Amino acid sequence: MQTLKVTKDKKVNGVTIKRISLFLIFIILTVLSLMIGADNNVTIGNLIKMDDTAGQTFIISRAPRTIAIILTASGLSIAGLIMQAISRNKFMSPSTSGTTDAAMLGVLLSYLLIGKQPHIIQVIFAFIFALCSTILFMTVLNKIKLRDAVYVPLVGMMYGAIIKAFTTAIAYHFGALQIVSIISLGTFNRFTNFNLLYIVLVPLFLSVIYATRFSIAGMGEDFSKGLGLNYKRTIFLGLCIIAVISAASFVTVGPITFVGLIIPNMVSAFYGDDVKKSIFDVAVLGAVFVLLCDIFSRLIIYPYEVAVGFTIGIVGGLIFLIILFRRIKYGKQ
Amino acid sequence: MLNFKGEQTMIEIKNISQAYGNTQVLREVNLIIKEKRITALIGANGAGKSTLLNVAANLLEPCAGTVLLDGKDIKEMKSQDIAKRIAILKQTQHLNMRISVRDLVSFGRYPHSQGRLKDEDEQKIRQAIEYMNLKEIENKFIDELSGGQRQRAYIAMILAQDTKYIFLDEPLNNLDIKYSVEMMTILRKLVKELSKTVIIVMHDINFAAAYADDIVAMKGGQIMKEGAAQDIIDQTVLTEVFDHEFCIANVYGKKVCVYFPPEDKSAKGDAINE
Ligand SMILES: Nc1ncnc2c1ncn2[C@@H]1O[C@H](COP(=O)(O)OP(=O)(O)O)[C@@H](O)[C@H]1O
Ligand SMILES: [Mg+2]
Repeated sequence: MQTLKVTKDKKVNGVTIKRISLFLIFIILTVLSLMIGADNNVTIGNLIKMDDTAGQTFIISRAPRTIAIILTASGLSIAGLIMQAISRNKFMSPSTSGTTDAAMLGVLLSYLLIGKQPHIIQVIFAFIFALCSTILFMTVLNKIKLRDAVYVPLVGMMYGAIIKAFTTAIAYHFGALQIVSIISLGTFNRFTNFNLLYIVLVPLFLSVIYATRFSIAGMGEDFSKGLGLNYKRTIFLGLCIIAVISAASFVTVGPITFVGLIIPNMVSAFYGDDVKKSIFDVAVLGAVFVLLCDIFSRLIIYPYEVAVGFTIGIVGGLIFLIILFRRIKYGKQ
Repeated sequence: MLNFKGEQTMIEIKNISQAYGNTQVLREVNLIIKEKRITALIGANGAGKSTLLNVAANLLEPCAGTVLLDGKDIKEMKSQDIAKRIAILKQTQHLNMRISVRDLVSFGRYPHSQGRLKDEDEQKIRQAIEYMNLKEIENKFIDELSGGQRQRAYIAMILAQDTKYIFLDEPLNNLDIKYSVEMMTILRKLVKELSKTVIIVMHDINFAAAYADDIVAMKGGQIMKEGAAQDIIDQTVLTEVFDHEFCIANVYGKKVCVYFPPEDKSAKGDAINE
């Protein structure tokens, strides 16, 4: 009895300690991310002294970039979390189920149809395409019933590749290949403004409020109905959240792969699949992961930088493979 | 049945029919479910028991007929209000989510709290966990539990939902005898102590005979017989319902069904004529 109590207390403490240390790492990386850059002028000392040029650089380039990283990373991680809950499949994520590729097709079509236009129009195009494509993919998945969830990201990436090929073909036909190569590079350094990313705050807010609904929806349609939850509406809301986040982050930053898949999987290893329980940690861990990759990308060939999309693709891909192989080795839970 | 306000309080199933394509699954079923009792639904596989339960809980819309919940047509009620009165545990549970026992139980509060748990909800969750003896394992994930523990966790969720009516579809499946007896004992306690009304689909007639107040016997989408448990556990009734010869024995003053044909043909005759 006594030992039982002790281990339980330890466990609760362990969870709190994990949360606090994750948050501390996040703060440290945020500060680091703010301090790194080609301009040596920006130091904490200069900022405190209210040095004008340092302050300007900080406000115009450093802070927006770091905020953009945090919003994109947390957004995509939560989009993955919700996607995995409502599809009842641990291997779903916006970048491994064609959602991001459909967003790209949307952006290209908006270019071709209307020419150069404000980002918000691109986001709307990207949103509509992302939403329709995700609904299509999930409907088809439900119909064909893959033997093992492990195949889902593989089929999803093939589906994404088809959309991408289609996009390239259209671009080639209309002589817009250059546009495709520009928009298909994930980077936080495009001298564009990241203002549009603040749209992501709306779906993030909604996902926190409706976290329990997504968990219940994850238990199945009849389970949800039995508790008086409107299942179809919840699924649709989830899909809209996923599509808004994917579209806004794609238009401003570009494709960021694997984050939405690996982050929720890493967190659920500790906290299980309850959305409400893990949503905070998913958001913070996602930010930590992308901040790390971004800092690395900026330092490795300093004062130049590698596109963060590459770094994330390589590191994220490795983690993804580890998760995949562990799953194959230890089988289904 | 009327409550002190003079409202009708019961579930009334009226002329329910259900069909999938050409197959008629329920044929004009009429049934009144009595309060504060355990009603067992029995019948062969495919008799329509699950379908009837799902229709009564509004999970499935019937082709024809109405269900009155406390005097009101269930179709005109909000699903949230139905979920405050009827809790249902389906025949099969998908185990694709790794959630803790406590999280599962807290889902039961959803119709009342919409996901934001208040003090009252926390209290109901705690009570349900204690009632079902799950305190020690409340932080375990449901996929780590034994079949019996998991079934208890689901029942705890239904208790937290705090409904008057509890519908259970074959909750004894996958449970060994010890847990089955434990489960039925708990259900009896729920009726006695918390005035719940339990409708339970079960396979084992002997469990129905021992623990249910009323038995409803279904066959081919119709109700063959309904009544007090002691009256339904009858050789001619059961033989007709299950298309199988039964022999009713008396053990410790309780009726027990024997459903295996004896190996020796002459002995069979003796048993049935007994
Ligand atoms: N969704 C469905 N589509 C087609 N047929 C169904 C469906 N659900 C149930 N049935 C059929 O209805 C009949 C009754 O099923 P059910 O109510 O599950 O029986 P029970 O629970 O008594 O075993 C069965 O023959 C079954 O095949
Ligand atoms: Mg059934």
